[in-house]
Amino acid sequence: MALHGETQAGSGLDSDVALAAGGDQTAFERLYRTHVARIHSLTRRMLSTQEADEVTQDIFVRTWQKLGQFRGDSAFSTWLHRLAVNVVIERRRSFAIQRERMSDDPAALDLLTVGPARADLKVDFESAIEQLPPGAREIFVLHDVEGYKHREIAVMLDIATGTSKRQLHRARMLMRQHLSGE
Amino acid sequence: MTVHEEWTNQLSEYLDGELPADERDAVEAHLKSCPPCAAVLNDLKRVVARASTVASHPPQADLWAGIAGRIERDAAARVVPFAAREARRVVFTLPQLAAAAALLIAVSGGIAWTVAERLRSETSLPVGTGSSASVAQPSRAADADGTSPATGTGAADFARVENVSMADAQYDAAVSDLEKALKAGRGQLDASTIAIVEHNLQIIDQAINQAREALASDPANSYLSSHLVEARRRKLDLLRRATALATETD
Repeated sequence: MALHGETQAGSGLDSDVALAAGGDQTAFERLYRTHVARIHSLTRRMLSTQEADEVTQDIFVRTWQKLGQFRGDSAFSTWLHRLAVNVVIERRRSFAIQRERMSDDPAALDLLTVGPARADLKVDFESAIEQLPPGAREIFVLHDVEGYKHREIAVMLDIATGTSKRQLHRARMLMRQHLSGE
Repeated sequence: MTVHEEWTNQLSEYLDGELPADERDAVEAHLKSCPPCAAVLNDLKRVVARASTVASHPPQADLWAGIAGRIERDAAARVVPFAAREARRVVFTLPQLAAAAALLIAVSGGIAWTVAERLRSETSLPVGTGSSASVAQPSRAADADGTSPATGTGAADFARVENVSMADAQYDAAVSDLEKALKAGRGQLDASTIAIVEHNLQIIDQAINQAREALASDPANSYLSSHLVEARRRKLDLLRRATALATETD
Protein backbone atom coordinates (compact mmCIF):
# COMPACT_ATOMS: atom_id res chain seq x y z
CA MET A 1 0.00 0.00 0.00
CA ALA A 2 1.34 3.42 -0.88
CA LEU A 3 0.22 5.85 1.74
CA HIS A 4 -0.63 9.37 0.70
CA GLY A 5 2.28 11.67 1.27
CA GLU A 6 4.68 8.88 2.08
CA THR A 7 8.30 9.45 1.33
CA GLN A 8 11.18 7.05 1.22
CA ALA A 9 13.04 6.93 4.48
CA GLY A 10 16.42 8.57 4.20
CA SER A 11 19.65 7.25 5.59
CA GLY A 12 19.45 9.67 8.52
CA LEU A 13 16.06 8.38 9.47
CA ASP A 14 17.20 4.80 8.99
CA SER A 15 20.08 5.35 11.36
CA ASP A 16 17.74 6.95 13.88
CA VAL A 17 15.53 3.88 13.73
CA ALA A 18 18.53 1.66 14.40
CA LEU A 19 19.79 3.89 17.20
CA ALA A 20 16.37 4.12 18.81
CA ALA A 21 15.94 0.36 18.59
CA GLY A 22 19.18 0.09 20.52
CA GLY A 23 17.80 2.27 23.30
CA ASP A 24 18.84 5.74 22.16
CA GLN A 25 16.09 8.08 23.36
CA THR A 26 17.55 11.08 21.57
CA ALA A 27 17.27 9.27 18.25
CA PHE A 28 13.75 8.23 19.15
CA GLU A 29 12.85 11.82 19.91
CA ARG A 30 14.01 12.74 16.41
CA LEU A 31 11.75 10.05 14.99
CA TYR A 32 8.91 11.39 17.11
CA ARG A 33 9.39 14.92 15.82
CA THR A 34 9.56 13.68 12.23
CA HIS A 35 6.32 11.72 12.43
CA VAL A 36 4.21 13.28 15.16
CA ALA A 37 2.23 15.59 12.88
CA ARG A 38 1.03 12.78 10.69
CA ILE A 39 0.26 10.45 13.59
CA HIS A 40 -1.52 13.12 15.59
CA SER A 41 -3.57 14.09 12.55
CA LEU A 42 -4.56 10.47 12.05
CA THR A 43 -5.71 10.08 15.66
CA ARG A 44 -7.53 13.40 15.60
CA ARG A 45 -9.41 12.50 12.45
CA MET A 46 -10.28 8.98 13.51
CA LEU A 47 -11.03 9.68 17.16
CA SER A 48 -11.36 13.23 18.39
CA THR A 49 -9.28 16.27 19.19
CA GLN A 50 -9.77 15.51 22.87
CA GLU A 51 -8.37 12.00 22.59
CA ALA A 52 -5.66 12.70 20.04
CA ASP A 53 -2.92 13.80 22.46
CA GLU A 54 -3.28 10.82 24.76
CA VAL A 55 -3.53 8.27 21.97
CA THR A 56 -0.59 9.79 20.13
CA GLN A 57 1.49 9.32 23.26
CA ASP A 58 0.28 5.72 23.51
CA ILE A 59 1.30 5.13 19.92
CA PHE A 60 4.84 6.40 20.40
CA VAL A 61 5.32 4.47 23.63
CA ARG A 62 4.11 1.36 21.82
CA THR A 63 6.47 2.16 18.96
CA TRP A 64 9.38 2.35 21.39
CA GLN A 65 8.41 -1.02 22.80
CA LYS A 66 8.12 -2.65 19.40
CA LEU A 67 11.08 -1.14 17.58
CA GLY A 68 12.98 -4.36 18.01
CA GLN A 69 10.46 -6.05 15.75
CA PHE A 70 10.89 -3.61 12.88
CA ARG A 71 12.82 -5.55 10.27
CA GLY A 72 12.92 -2.97 7.52
CA ASP A 73 10.66 -4.92 5.18
CA SER A 74 8.75 -1.69 4.61
CA ALA A 75 9.51 1.97 5.18
CA PHE A 76 9.56 2.88 8.85
CA SER A 77 6.79 5.39 8.22
CA THR A 78 4.57 2.65 6.81
CA TRP A 79 5.28 0.38 9.75
CA LEU A 80 4.66 3.17 12.24
CA HIS A 81 1.46 4.19 10.52
CA ARG A 82 0.06 0.70 10.58
CA LEU A 83 0.91 0.38 14.25
CA ALA A 84 -0.85 3.69 14.86
CA VAL A 85 -3.95 2.54 13.04
CA ASN A 86 -3.98 -0.61 15.16
CA VAL A 87 -3.77 1.41 18.35
CA VAL A 88 -6.58 3.69 17.22
CA ILE A 89 -8.77 0.74 16.30
CA GLU A 90 -8.10 -0.90 19.65
CA ARG A 91 -9.05 2.33 21.37
CA ARG A 92 -12.31 2.49 19.51
CA ARG A 93 -13.05 -1.12 20.30
CA SER A 94 -12.30 -0.53 23.95
CA PHE A 95 -15.34 1.68 24.03
CA ALA A 96 -17.40 -1.18 22.64
CA ILE A 97 -18.84 0.96 19.90
CA GLN A 98 -17.26 -0.56 16.84
CA ARG A 99 -20.03 -2.88 15.80
CA GLU A 100 -22.75 -0.35 16.35
CA ARG A 101 -20.88 2.11 14.22
CA MET A 102 -20.30 -0.40 11.48
CA SER A 103 -23.94 -1.39 11.18
CA ASP A 104 -25.68 -0.45 7.99
CA ASP A 105 -28.48 1.26 9.82
CA PRO A 106 -31.13 2.25 7.23
CA ALA A 107 -31.99 5.31 9.28
CA ALA A 108 -28.39 6.41 9.25
CA LEU A 109 -28.20 5.93 5.53
CA ASP A 110 -31.08 8.36 5.17
CA LEU A 111 -28.43 10.97 5.77
CA LEU A 112 -27.49 10.46 2.16
CA THR A 113 -30.61 12.28 1.09
CA VAL A 114 -29.81 15.38 3.08
CA GLY A 115 -29.95 18.47 0.90
CA PRO A 116 -27.32 21.13 0.42
CA ALA A 117 -25.73 22.38 3.63
CA ARG A 118 -26.96 25.65 5.09
CA ALA A 119 -24.44 28.44 4.77
CA ASP A 120 -24.34 28.98 8.51
CA LEU A 121 -23.43 25.33 9.05
CA LYS A 122 -20.50 25.29 6.68
CA VAL A 123 -17.22 24.22 8.25
CA ASP A 124 -13.77 23.53 6.92
CA PHE A 125 -12.86 20.18 5.48
CA GLU A 126 -11.04 18.94 8.59
CA SER A 127 -13.92 19.83 10.86
CA ALA A 128 -16.32 18.22 8.44
CA ILE A 129 -14.38 14.96 8.73
CA GLU A 130 -14.72 15.09 12.50
CA GLN A 131 -18.46 15.54 12.13
CA LEU A 132 -18.95 12.43 10.02
CA PRO A 133 -20.79 9.53 11.64
CA PRO A 134 -18.13 7.34 13.28
CA GLY A 135 -18.32 4.31 10.99
CA ALA A 136 -18.21 6.39 7.84
CA ARG A 137 -15.58 8.66 9.32
CA GLU A 138 -12.89 6.09 10.01
CA ILE A 139 -13.32 4.46 6.61
CA PHE A 140 -13.19 7.82 4.87
CA VAL A 141 -9.99 8.66 6.73
CA LEU A 142 -8.38 5.29 6.07
CA HIS A 143 -9.37 5.16 2.38
CA ASP A 144 -9.44 8.68 1.05
CA VAL A 145 -7.00 10.40 3.40
CA GLU A 146 -4.54 7.63 4.23
CA GLY A 147 -4.79 5.60 1.04
CA TYR A 148 -5.70 2.15 2.34
CA LYS A 149 -7.66 -0.21 0.09
CA HIS A 150 -11.07 -1.59 0.97
CA ARG A 151 -9.69 -5.09 1.45
CA GLU A 152 -7.10 -3.76 3.89
CA ILE A 153 -9.69 -1.75 5.77
CA ALA A 154 -11.99 -4.76 5.93
CA VAL A 155 -9.25 -6.79 7.61
CA MET A 156 -8.27 -4.01 10.00
CA LEU A 157 -11.83 -3.31 11.10
CA ASP A 158 -13.10 -6.88 10.83
CA ILE A 159 -15.91 -5.92 8.50
CA ALA A 160 -17.05 -6.95 5.03
CA THR A 161 -15.52 -5.23 2.03
CA GLY A 162 -18.99 -4.26 0.93
CA THR A 163 -19.60 -2.52 4.24
CA SER A 164 -16.40 -0.56 3.79
CA LYS A 165 -17.52 0.55 0.31
CA ARG A 166 -20.99 1.57 1.47
CA GLN A 167 -19.65 3.55 4.40
CA LEU A 168 -17.11 5.28 2.18
CA HIS A 169 -19.80 6.35 -0.24
CA ARG A 170 -21.93 7.54 2.63
CA ALA A 171 -19.03 9.62 3.92
CA ARG A 172 -18.25 11.12 0.52
CA MET A 173 -21.85 12.09 -0.04
CA LEU A 174 -21.87 13.86 3.29
CA MET A 175 -18.52 15.52 2.69
CA ARG A 176 -19.57 16.96 -0.68
CA GLN A 177 -21.89 19.29 1.18
CA HIS A 178 -18.90 21.01 2.75
CA LEU A 179 -16.86 21.63 -0.35
CA SER A 180 -18.57 24.84 -1.32
CA GLY A 181 -17.56 26.26 2.03
CA GLU A 182 -13.88 26.13 1.15
CA MET B 1 -34.18 17.04 -13.05
CA THR B 2 -33.40 15.26 -9.82
CA VAL B 3 -30.59 13.05 -8.64
CA HIS B 4 -31.21 9.34 -9.12
CA GLU B 5 -30.11 7.57 -6.00
CA GLU B 6 -30.01 4.19 -7.68
CA TRP B 7 -27.25 5.59 -9.90
CA THR B 8 -25.46 7.86 -7.45
CA ASN B 9 -25.10 4.94 -5.06
CA GLN B 10 -22.70 3.44 -7.57
CA LEU B 11 -20.65 6.54 -8.14
CA SER B 12 -18.00 5.94 -5.50
CA GLU B 13 -17.24 2.50 -6.85
CA TYR B 14 -17.32 3.94 -10.36
CA LEU B 15 -14.91 6.65 -9.32
CA ASP B 16 -12.59 4.13 -7.69
CA GLY B 17 -12.66 1.87 -10.75
CA GLU B 18 -14.24 -0.98 -8.86
CA LEU B 19 -17.34 -1.57 -10.95
CA PRO B 20 -17.53 -4.49 -13.39
CA ALA B 21 -17.32 -3.40 -17.01
CA ASP B 22 -21.03 -3.78 -17.77
CA GLU B 23 -22.07 -1.75 -14.72
CA ARG B 24 -19.45 0.87 -15.48
CA ASP B 25 -20.79 1.23 -19.02
CA ALA B 26 -24.33 1.57 -17.70
CA VAL B 27 -23.31 4.29 -15.25
CA GLU B 28 -21.49 6.19 -17.98
CA ALA B 29 -24.50 6.01 -20.26
CA HIS B 30 -26.71 7.39 -17.50
CA LEU B 31 -24.31 10.18 -16.64
CA LYS B 32 -24.34 11.40 -20.24
CA SER B 33 -28.07 11.93 -20.07
CA CYS B 34 -28.40 13.10 -16.46
CA PRO B 35 -26.65 16.37 -15.52
CA PRO B 36 -27.65 16.20 -11.80
CA CYS B 37 -26.04 12.78 -11.37
CA ALA B 38 -23.01 13.96 -13.35
CA ALA B 39 -22.78 16.92 -10.97
CA VAL B 40 -22.75 14.54 -8.01
CA LEU B 41 -19.88 12.64 -9.61
CA ASN B 42 -17.94 15.87 -10.01
CA ASP B 43 -18.54 16.67 -6.35
CA LEU B 44 -17.29 13.25 -5.32
CA LYS B 45 -14.18 13.73 -7.41
CA ARG B 46 -13.53 16.98 -5.59
CA VAL B 47 -14.01 15.30 -2.22
CA VAL B 48 -11.54 12.55 -3.08
CA ALA B 49 -9.00 15.00 -4.44
CA ARG B 50 -9.34 17.21 -1.39
CA ALA B 51 -9.04 14.31 1.03
CA SER B 52 -5.82 13.12 -0.51
CA THR B 53 -4.19 16.49 0.05
CA VAL B 54 -5.23 17.37 3.59
CA ALA B 55 -2.23 18.57 5.51
CA SER B 56 -0.95 17.08 8.73
CA HIS B 57 -0.66 19.34 11.74
CA PRO B 58 1.38 18.72 14.87
CA PRO B 59 -0.35 18.77 18.25
CA GLN B 60 -0.71 22.15 19.89
CA ALA B 61 1.24 20.95 22.92
CA ASP B 62 4.57 19.16 22.76
CA LEU B 63 3.84 15.57 23.76
CA TRP B 64 7.44 14.43 23.96
CA ALA B 65 7.91 15.04 27.67
CA GLY B 66 5.03 12.71 28.50
CA ILE B 67 6.30 10.05 26.13
CA ALA B 68 9.85 10.24 27.47
CA GLY B 69 8.56 9.97 31.01
CA ARG B 70 6.57 6.88 30.24
CA ILE B 71 9.48 5.28 28.41
CA GLU B 72 11.81 5.85 31.32
CA ARG B 73 9.32 4.54 33.85
CA ASP B 74 8.54 1.48 31.82
CA ALA B 75 11.79 -0.42 31.94
CA ALA B 76 10.15 -3.33 30.23
CA ALA B 77 9.46 -1.08 27.28
CA ARG B 78 13.13 -1.15 26.37
CA VAL B 79 13.41 -3.60 23.51
CA VAL B 80 16.73 -4.24 21.87
CA PRO B 81 16.40 -5.58 18.33
CA PHE B 82 17.47 -9.12 17.77
CA ALA B 83 19.82 -8.13 14.99
CA ALA B 84 21.59 -5.70 17.28
CA ARG B 85 21.91 -8.32 19.98
CA GLU B 86 23.53 -10.72 17.59
CA ALA B 87 26.01 -8.16 16.36
CA ARG B 88 27.32 -6.93 19.69
CA ARG B 89 29.14 -8.46 22.58
CA VAL B 90 26.93 -9.84 25.32
CA VAL B 91 27.53 -8.03 28.58
CA PHE B 92 24.96 -9.43 30.97
CA THR B 93 26.11 -11.58 33.81
CA LEU B 94 24.69 -14.71 35.37
CA PRO B 95 22.98 -12.75 38.19
CA GLN B 96 21.37 -10.58 35.51
CA LEU B 97 20.26 -13.66 33.68
CA ALA B 98 18.87 -15.01 36.91
CA ALA B 99 16.95 -11.79 37.45
CA ALA B 100 15.57 -12.01 33.94
CA ALA B 101 14.64 -15.58 34.66
CA ALA B 102 12.73 -14.54 37.75
CA LEU B 103 10.81 -12.03 35.69
CA LEU B 104 10.07 -14.67 33.11
CA ILE B 105 8.72 -16.92 35.84
CA ALA B 106 6.37 -14.18 36.95
CA VAL B 107 5.24 -13.36 33.46
CA SER B 108 4.83 -16.97 32.43
CA GLY B 109 3.00 -17.66 35.66
CA GLY B 110 0.69 -14.77 34.95
CA ILE B 111 -0.05 -16.15 31.53
CA ALA B 112 -0.72 -19.61 32.91
CA TRP B 113 -2.93 -18.18 35.63
CA THR B 114 -4.83 -16.05 33.15
CA VAL B 115 -5.41 -18.95 30.82
CA ALA B 116 -6.51 -21.13 33.68
CA GLU B 117 -8.89 -18.47 34.96
CA ARG B 118 -10.35 -17.94 31.53
CA LEU B 119 -10.88 -21.64 31.13
CA ARG B 120 -12.43 -21.90 34.57
CA SER B 121 -14.83 -19.03 34.05
CA GLU B 122 -15.76 -19.56 30.43
CA THR B 123 -15.77 -23.28 29.89
CA SER B 124 -15.89 -24.68 33.44
CA LEU B 125 -13.18 -27.16 32.47
CA PRO B 126 -11.22 -28.60 35.40
CA VAL B 127 -7.95 -26.76 35.76
CA GLY B 128 -4.88 -27.88 37.67
CA THR B 129 -4.21 -25.83 40.77
CA GLY B 130 -0.62 -26.85 41.38
CA SER B 131 2.09 -25.03 39.56
CA SER B 132 -0.23 -22.54 37.92
CA ALA B 133 -1.62 -21.34 41.21
CA SER B 134 1.75 -21.30 42.86
CA VAL B 135 3.22 -18.89 40.34
CA ALA B 136 0.14 -16.72 40.07
CA GLN B 137 0.75 -14.62 43.14
CA PRO B 138 4.09 -13.06 42.22
CA SER B 139 2.71 -12.01 38.86
CA ARG B 140 -0.37 -10.39 40.35
CA ALA B 141 1.70 -8.67 42.99
CA ALA B 142 4.01 -7.36 40.31
CA ASP B 143 1.03 -6.01 38.42
CA ALA B 144 -0.21 -4.25 41.49
CA ASP B 145 2.94 -2.22 41.97
CA GLY B 146 3.33 -1.53 38.29
CA THR B 147 6.54 -3.45 37.80
CA SER B 148 5.14 -6.10 35.52
CA PRO B 149 5.70 -5.65 31.80
CA ALA B 150 2.01 -6.37 31.40
CA THR B 151 1.05 -3.11 33.03
CA GLY B 152 0.87 0.46 31.91
CA THR B 153 1.16 0.27 28.19
CA GLY B 154 -0.85 -2.82 27.36
CA ALA B 155 1.38 -5.84 26.85
CA ALA B 156 -1.60 -7.83 25.61
CA ASP B 157 -2.16 -5.28 22.89
CA PHE B 158 1.55 -5.27 22.25
CA ALA B 159 1.43 -8.98 21.53
CA ARG B 160 -1.73 -8.83 19.48
CA VAL B 161 -0.23 -6.74 16.73
CA GLU B 162 2.77 -8.98 16.67
CA ASN B 163 1.07 -11.85 14.91
CA VAL B 164 2.88 -11.48 11.64
CA SER B 165 6.38 -11.66 13.02
CA MET B 166 5.44 -14.50 15.34
CA ALA B 167 3.80 -16.57 12.63
CA ASP B 168 4.12 -20.31 13.15
CA ALA B 169 6.59 -21.05 10.38
CA GLN B 170 8.87 -18.16 11.29
CA TYR B 171 8.67 -18.94 14.96
CA ASP B 172 9.24 -22.66 14.66
CA ALA B 173 12.22 -22.13 12.39
CA ALA B 174 13.74 -19.56 14.74
CA VAL B 175 13.23 -21.75 17.80
CA SER B 176 14.66 -24.76 16.00
CA ASP B 177 17.77 -22.85 14.93
CA LEU B 178 18.33 -21.43 18.39
CA GLU B 179 17.84 -24.77 20.09
CA LYS B 180 20.46 -26.27 17.81
CA ALA B 181 22.83 -23.40 18.49
CA LEU B 182 22.25 -23.66 22.22
CA LYS B 183 22.82 -27.38 22.12
CA ALA B 184 26.08 -26.84 20.29
CA GLY B 185 27.21 -24.24 22.80
CA ARG B 186 25.89 -25.98 25.85
CA GLY B 187 29.33 -27.09 26.90
CA GLN B 188 30.38 -23.46 27.24
CA LEU B 189 27.81 -22.75 29.93
CA ASP B 190 28.11 -23.71 33.54
CA ALA B 191 25.64 -26.04 35.16
CA SER B 192 23.76 -23.39 37.12
CA THR B 193 23.17 -21.30 34.00
CA ILE B 194 21.92 -24.32 32.11
CA ALA B 195 19.62 -25.16 35.01
CA ILE B 196 18.14 -21.66 35.05
CA VAL B 197 17.59 -21.62 31.31
CA GLU B 198 16.03 -25.07 31.22
CA HIS B 199 13.82 -24.36 34.20
CA ASN B 200 12.45 -21.21 32.60
CA LEU B 201 12.01 -22.81 29.21
CA GLN B 202 9.98 -25.49 30.94
CA ILE B 203 7.74 -22.88 32.56
CA ILE B 204 7.27 -21.00 29.32
CA ASP B 205 6.50 -24.21 27.43
CA GLN B 206 3.90 -24.98 30.08
CA ALA B 207 2.30 -21.59 29.52
CA ILE B 208 2.40 -22.10 25.75
CA ASN B 209 0.77 -25.50 26.03
CA GLN B 210 -1.96 -24.22 28.32
CA ALA B 211 -2.69 -21.34 25.99
CA ARG B 212 -2.84 -23.71 23.03
CA GLU B 213 -5.23 -26.01 24.86
CA ALA B 214 -7.45 -23.11 25.79
CA LEU B 215 -7.39 -21.83 22.21
CA ALA B 216 -8.44 -25.25 20.99
CA SER B 217 -11.63 -24.75 22.97
CA ASP B 218 -12.03 -21.13 22.00
CA PRO B 219 -10.11 -20.47 18.75
CA ALA B 220 -11.49 -16.98 18.23
CA ASN B 221 -10.41 -15.69 21.62
CA SER B 222 -8.00 -12.88 20.87
CA TYR B 223 -7.20 -12.56 24.56
CA LEU B 224 -5.78 -16.07 24.64
CA SER B 225 -4.07 -15.55 21.30
CA SER B 226 -2.22 -12.56 22.62
CA HIS B 227 -0.96 -14.53 25.61
CA LEU B 228 0.19 -17.33 23.38
CA VAL B 229 2.11 -14.90 21.22
CA GLU B 230 3.64 -13.27 24.26
CA ALA B 231 4.72 -16.61 25.75
CA ARG B 232 6.26 -17.64 22.44
CA ARG B 233 8.07 -14.34 22.21
CA ARG B 234 9.43 -14.90 25.72
CA LYS B 235 10.70 -18.29 24.75
CA LEU B 236 12.39 -16.94 21.68
CA ASP B 237 13.96 -14.15 23.68
CA LEU B 238 15.29 -16.49 26.35
CA LEU B 239 16.73 -18.81 23.73
CA ARG B 240 18.44 -15.91 22.03
CA ARG B 241 19.92 -14.68 25.28
CA ALA B 242 21.12 -18.11 26.26
CA THR B 243 22.62 -18.73 22.84
CA ALA B 244 24.35 -15.38 22.92
CA LEU B 245 25.77 -16.19 26.35
CA ALA B 246 27.07 -19.51 25.08
CA THR B 247 28.66 -17.72 22.13
CA GLU B 248 30.14 -15.09 24.42
CA THR B 249 31.86 -17.67 26.59
CA ASP B 250 32.97 -19.66 23.58
